[in-house]
Amino acid sequence: MAPFELVVPSTVEEAMAALRTSGPGGASALAGGTDLLNDLDDGRARPQRVVSLRRLPWRTLDWTGGQLTVGSTLPLRALEQDPEVARRFPGLVQAVRAVGSVALRHCATLGGNVVRSAPASDLVPVLLSLDAEVDLVGPRGDRRVPLDRFIRSSRRVDLAEGELVRSIRFPEARPSSYLWQRVRPANDISQVAVALAFSPTGHAWRVAVGGVPPRPVLLPGPARLLGSGAPGPEVVRRAAALAGEEAPFVTDRRASEEYRRRTVSALVARAVAAVLETPEFPR
Amino acid sequence: MTTPTSRSRPDGEVKLHGAALYGTDLDVPGMLWGALVPSPVAHGTIRSIDLSAARALPGVTAVGAEDLDRLLPFGARDEERPLFPRGEVIYHHQPLAAVAAPTLAEAVRAAREVRVAVDPLPIVSDLESVFPEWPGSGAANSPHVAAHVHARHGDVEGEFSRADRVVQEVYRTASVHQVALEPHACLAEVQDGRWYVRTSTQTPFGVREDLAVLLGVPESSIVVRGTWVGGGFGGKGAPLLEPYALLLARASGRPVRLALGYREEFQLGRTTLPAVVRMETAVTGGRIRARRVRLLLDVGTSLPGRDFATGYSIGFLLGPYATATFEIEGYAVRTNKPPFGPHRAPLAPQCAFVVESHLDHVARESGEDPEEFRARHIWTEGDTTPLGQTVGPFGLGAALERARETAKRWRREAPPGHGVGVGVGFWSTSTGAGGEVRLRLTASEVVIEQGEREIGSGSVLVGLPAVAARSLGVPRERVRVDYSDTSTAPFDSGVFGSRTVGAMGRAIEEASLQLLAVLGKRLAGGAPATLREADGRLLAASGGHEAPVADLLTPEERTTGGMVAGGRHFGPPGTLDEHRVVDGTFYAYRDFTGAAHVAEVSVDRETGSVRVERYAAFHDIGVVIDPAAARAQVEGGVAMGLGTALTEEAIWSDAGELENAGLKDYRIPTLGEVPPVEVDFLEGFPGAGPFGAKGLGEPPMIPVPAAVALAVREACGAHATELPLSAERVARALKLL
Amino acid sequence: MTRTPSRLQVNGRAVELPGLPDEERLLDTLRWRLGMKGTKEGCRSGACGACTVLVDGESTLSCLTLTREVEGRAVTTIEIGPEDPVVARVRSAFAVAGALQCGYCTPGFVMSLAGLLRERGAAASREELLEALGGNLCRCTGYASILRAVDRLRSEGP
Repeated sequence: MAPFELVVPSTVEEAMAALRTSGPGGASALAGGTDLLNDLDDGRARPQRVVSLRRLPWRTLDWTGGQLTVGSTLPLRALEQDPEVARRFPGLVQAVRAVGSVALRHCATLGGNVVRSAPASDLVPVLLSLDAEVDLVGPRGDRRVPLDRFIRSSRRVDLAEGELVRSIRFPEARPSSYLWQRVRPANDISQVAVALAFSPTGHAWRVAVGGVPPRPVLLPGPARLLGSGAPGPEVVRRAAALAGEEAPFVTDRRASEEYRRRTVSALVARAVAAVLETPEFPR
Repeated sequence: MTTPTSRSRPDGEVKLHGAALYGTDLDVPGMLWGALVPSPVAHGTIRSIDLSAARALPGVTAVGAEDLDRLLPFGARDEERPLFPRGEVIYHHQPLAAVAAPTLAEAVRAAREVRVAVDPLPIVSDLESVFPEWPGSGAANSPHVAAHVHARHGDVEGEFSRADRVVQEVYRTASVHQVALEPHACLAEVQDGRWYVRTSTQTPFGVREDLAVLLGVPESSIVVRGTWVGGGFGGKGAPLLEPYALLLARASGRPVRLALGYREEFQLGRTTLPAVVRMETAVTGGRIRARRVRLLLDVGTSLPGRDFATGYSIGFLLGPYATATFEIEGYAVRTNKPPFGPHRAPLAPQCAFVVESHLDHVARESGEDPEEFRARHIWTEGDTTPLGQTVGPFGLGAALERARETAKRWRREAPPGHGVGVGVGFWSTSTGAGGEVRLRLTASEVVIEQGEREIGSGSVLVGLPAVAARSLGVPRERVRVDYSDTSTAPFDSGVFGSRTVGAMGRAIEEASLQLLAVLGKRLAGGAPATLREADGRLLAASGGHEAPVADLLTPEERTTGGMVAGGRHFGPPGTLDEHRVVDGTFYAYRDFTGAAHVAEVSVDRETGSVRVERYAAFHDIGVVIDPAAARAQVEGGVAMGLGTALTEEAIWSDAGELENAGLKDYRIPTLGEVPPVEVDFLEGFPGAGPFGAKGLGEPPMIPVPAAVALAVREACGAHATELPLSAERVARALKLL
Repeated sequence: MTRTPSRLQVNGRAVELPGLPDEERLLDTLRWRLGMKGTKEGCRSGACGACTVLVDGESTLSCLTLTREVEGRAVTTIEIGPEDPVVARVRSAFAVAGALQCGYCTPGFVMSLAGLLRERGAAASREELLEALGGNLCRCTGYASILRAVDRLRSEGP
């Protein structure tokens, strides 16, 4: 693994400057390091400089105005252990607990996961179902981007030079569910995953799938079919079937396209049932 | 015999304080770090390998094929297994050269600086590319066939033509890796004509012997010292890195550490490769009349004539079932992968899966109860095996009875949607040549002087003292195990094949008898003594006399550290009925042990996911030497078997590259996937080991995939004919796709 | 690139690391710079848990941690002495339950459990304890004796 210079800025301005000022190898931001360090070992990333975000004031969990804002460098473990988050965003906690292992989650962060935007990311589908927004800071100022637009494809996000993700904002709490299909239940990557959420203010469902190249996506068709409240079993069945048809799965060595389509239908139906059963679902 | 309890391990303290040094921990001042230069293709002609750029880097030593004559006193000897290929590379990542440098980063960089020019050749990546159809006559002569075995007995054609019913099926099993948590690692030094290597290995003497051939150096100038081993499971038998580390040490004049990264561990591992089996069974009146088995086994680049797997494993495809009329034929097929190597119970779990699934299917097709049908044919003592061995005391029948009782009870208790399956398997213990030990008796303790390291199973640090304690009548706490390297230790073939307690145990018995005989003579000129312990001292008694051992030692013995007796055990080779062999070399099984397992599973009917809810294992163990260690072996073997059954599969691309090297994409079971395992041992069917013990290292793996597969079938009707039973395969078998 | 000496606490002892390269992993600092071989190298990619240590009491994969990132913090490894009562309890439970065979995964398991016990104490449920071990792979024991050690820990209380 090639050597690099590690910089540990104390302020956001220093961080942005450090990301901009760099030689031919470029600079990478370091949050939890669980993706970056693997990439460094694989030779996928060869930055000249690594900018640690650990001193920045972003290890936060904020409920201002009833909206949850999670600082981008908050370790996932802190997020999953917050009882308010578990109550108001059950799908989010289910997804966080699906990531790697407890030890990994002591370091891994929401921001890092979003920027890495892996096709099988466990967090991105849930974030999509919650209409999460990404707060960015940059040399040209701050901006807020819906996650769905922020992520372009695997390892490609809408981050301009010198920009950093400061936080992820959840506009409203939603009854939600995250279900996955994997080879083994722990410490694994999902072949197929679904995130369902119901917006109590918008009276609308969100259906997102993971394990889809090049990135997890929202499925508008099944979401529309599910309607504006609690759908009956026949509606759920049709929405699940439609999800199986709409989701852009492919065959890879982890699973075939056929299997994924079949499985995603089963998971959508179950996830709807799980959402309907959450105490927070509007009656 | 039931209720084995927990017991502290003698190596617990050192390991729980992080003080045990494994191969990966070896570290001496001035050592260099080694790295291998891997072939970039699976098959090709070598045009050039240029080490000059690597050698130009500061502190770098590089060795390649053209250096061997210079470095080795008599030149490289083994033409069939060249350390570095000269003409042709034959598998992906095959080492083409090796480098050493002061740090790992520099070694990796130096390896990258080696310029390799290889012209690609067509790649044989799997069985189907060699034999898209089943091999016809004459296929045995194909250059792609490393070995051909063929045996038959009885009027096979006649029985098939007369049978009420013939059932034919094809099964496929995947490649699985040992996945010891510790990758291969060693540290080598060459000084004053002595080739010294410390290594994580199951077979120090085997490594020495092999190194002598590979390096063309006399065994007497090679010293192998084993370290603590972080798991072996068959993968740390033959030398892998040691020759390269020694070459680099010789070339650089420095100690060289060479270890594999975890991806390399998969890429270079010698292990179980894919198999395709065709099973045909002729049934009349609820009885098997005849069987035909055809095996295509991918053996990677195993050399013709050096395939150990085909003739060894094919017998397991007939199972522990009385089969008078049969034909078995196996082809060891060469592909561009590393050579087939031993895994724990090589291919036996896969074979048991095939046999049990097939006979279960045959029974169902014939309208028979599947468990009853199989039970009807299980070997009993005195039966003749298909290849002509006589089955000795064999407890599988009794184990199967216990398993069936358990299965019946679980079926009553199980929620709807669950299924219960019973799978059996057998194993032939006592493989490998044999071993020696020395027992040293002092005033207060017995020391077992021997040449094996504890690889984890407890066979060395728990099993051997247990045998010595029992043979001599002293408490276990009075027995100590000493390890020394190949230059001074008594010879032993190695810790593999479930043979350690059996073979070394018998040697300990022999040495014990000698000690007791001598003590008896010294005491009363009579019968062999008995020993006991009192207040930390050992006392010997014979013919009404008793004395402290201290008083019975001669002055010379007191000076030299005690009374020493040697023991040796080399088991007799098995026998085959050669009349039944048409072609090739079969391995003669002996000292049979059996096991019957019960699995209860639930199957997700929509996704095909299988969850193992309950598990029980009944083992024909001969005699239990140490209950806690025996139980631990079964628990560990079952978990490993569950991996083979459900999640483990090494996937090779058409380019002969391993697609899922590494622990993220090759999945071994995690803690949450293994249910509690009820373990019970059946004693009373003695084997060839001390006090009638039978080996236990490998049998616990064997019936696992079978029991799980049959449970899955009962749970949801899915009849899977492939391993592993991934959710997708079960979904297909359920016709969901 | 290397700069000012890095300082850490390792098992209660202040350690200075002059010339520490920025890219060095905590796993390698412990094993090769400090000669502390108790923390094991397995997959080196975060999938096996063999390299688990505690950083400020939290279980951490040392193979995926830059040493410089834990400057000024307290690292606990398997080599910690009896002065750490939580690790001592876990060790004792493992010893009595015979919860190891080859022992290569053992330091990782002990540290993962110790980390959870430090975090949750007596309130740790069995499910939480098992979840904490989901990232630790073992190939020898089939996890059964390890689970017995966990149950022993729970029944013994704080």
